[in-house]
Amino acid sequence: MNSWWFACRKLIGGIPLLFGVTLISFTLMVYFGPDLTYELLGKNPTATAIAEVRHSLGYDQPFWHRYLMYVQQLITLDFGLSMVKDQPVTELLQGAIPVSIQLLLPGFIIGNILAILLAMKAVQNRGKWPDKTIMTFSVIGMSVSFLVIIIGCQLIFSSSYGLDLFPVRGWQVHDKNEQFSWLAYLNYVTVPTIALVLISLGYNTRFYRAVLADEVNKDHINTARAFGHSDQKIYYQLLLKNTMVPIITRTLFSIPMVIISGSLLLESYFGIPGVGLITYEAIIAGDQPVLKAIVGLTAVLFVLVLIGAEILYRLFDPRMGATQK
Amino acid sequence: MINEPAHSRLNLSLWQQSRQHFMKDRWGILGLLIVVLYLLVVIGVWFGLWGTEWSAISDDFNQGPSLQHWFGTNAIGQDIAERGIYATQVAFEVGVVVTVFAIFLGLLIGALAGFFNDTWIDGVLLWLMGVIDAIPFYLLVAAVAFAMQGHAWAMHLAMIAVFWTTTARLIRAEVIKLKQLAFVEAATAIGFNPVHLLFRHIIPNTNHLIIIQATIVFISAIKTEVILSFLGLGIKEGISWGLMIAEATNDIQAGYFNNFLAASLLLFILVIGFNLFSDAIQDALDPKLQKNHEKK
Repeated sequence: MNSWWFACRKLIGGIPLLFGVTLISFTLMVYFGPDLTYELLGKNPTATAIAEVRHSLGYDQPFWHRYLMYVQQLITLDFGLSMVKDQPVTELLQGAIPVSIQLLLPGFIIGNILAILLAMKAVQNRGKWPDKTIMTFSVIGMSVSFLVIIIGCQLIFSSSYGLDLFPVRGWQVHDKNEQFSWLAYLNYVTVPTIALVLISLGYNTRFYRAVLADEVNKDHINTARAFGHSDQKIYYQLLLKNTMVPIITRTLFSIPMVIISGSLLLESYFGIPGVGLITYEAIIAGDQPVLKAIVGLTAVLFVLVLIGAEILYRLFDPRMGATQK
Repeated sequence: MINEPAHSRLNLSLWQQSRQHFMKDRWGILGLLIVVLYLLVVIGVWFGLWGTEWSAISDDFNQGPSLQHWFGTNAIGQDIAERGIYATQVAFEVGVVVTVFAIFLGLLIGALAGFFNDTWIDGVLLWLMGVIDAIPFYLLVAAVAFAMQGHAWAMHLAMIAVFWTTTARLIRAEVIKLKQLAFVEAATAIGFNPVHLLFRHIIPNTNHLIIIQATIVFISAIKTEVILSFLGLGIKEGISWGLMIAEATNDIQAGYFNNFLAASLLLFILVIGFNLFSDAIQDALDPKLQKNHEKK
């Protein structure tokens, strides 16, 4: 069985899941969603005007027909105009996605690498004080609400009650000539990054420690130790490579969650015009075209990530593909 | 096994062993004490002993902590301690409702999927879990709130709809494992009714997982309620820690931190208490760890 066939089969296997997520988002957001007829009409509409708008929104069509219309919107990426901003939804998202990536990427990478390093330190000193200290702090980190971390970071680093080093809110990363400026970027991205790292560090460290501790008891590690390999080689080459599968899963799976959940709070609190802020504003205003686009697209993205993960596993562990029927 | 003396150390039942293990865990006991303390606070609110004045407005705006107002007052002169205490009860209500329904749903669906694995029932149920897990949580809540047009229970429903899947997956895996054990095979061989077998003999063997999952769901529900209420998707009438933090964002800019600190501290202490408790019972109920314990 070659890799291409494997990838193709995985993609076909993802179709029921894609069907499910689009069906649920359609049912919740469009079918049971609020009736938009009167939002689009002026005062005192005539009966024909009402019928026309209802027809253009597809309200006179049966369930499956409307579902197919929604799928068509997802495939062509054409969701019409936002109700609040009078701008095509696709255009809104095109502007917002790069901002969210720029905002979240550093924190995401630092958060994961730092967590792996801390977990490694904890596993190397299992049961001793570094392990206990690291794990105590990760429980404390897990217990502080995201909200409190974000507000606290802003208070400490950005406000006049704290260090007052960085701007309180906003995202002016371009200089006067519309050029991307690294200095301005650092200025705006630092505090959200610190917050993001603090949010994820507790959970990640605990997870990675559990994974590493499981692997460190295995025979191949004992053998390597008996052969007299250095700690450096045992932990960072042998151990890390063998735990790559759960680590990849964790990282990939958290991507869609980080994009939406992480950015929702961070961006709405720091006033950064990314996907999260758009989502937040759409939730508050009940902007259905934007919400159905975001819900549908992220769900589809997640399924694609899922399929991507299975293909990646095979690269790291050829046994995985072979054992499956 | 039932007739053996329960007092000899080696013949303790699994539950008794777990309790012994738990009692030795100092952090777990601390967590339990914190949870019990909060529970007493909640019961007091139910009986109207305290937290009754949470909405009363007075002339003392933005006061610092004093004997009369333990955590000070907010911008319209409400006592922050009273509000925090009342919000504790709101948080517990959300936690209990979500936990009970999510665990029940997860247990039922997980057990069915596991019992009928290799049939289409398992396939459909697994598909359903995959679909729900694929939609980012806050968006699903927004979608449910949207579909229910801002109904007061939209948040609870959305959390239940999301939180059952983890429990269901765990129970499913456990039931598949149990199905292959000799006692189930024997019961099938002597012609037990499968429904009876599932509910009387297999599900009771997943109790330890249910207890662990319940504590985890409870923590998630309380933490999530705070964030959703802050975003305007959660509690709308009354007060919750999330709403207090939302109020506090304005106070903070004016330099008043009482509201923010009170709500965050109450939340933090409860969550860390519950986390410690949850970790301790996970250790105590984990059969793998217990074996290691005995070997020593």
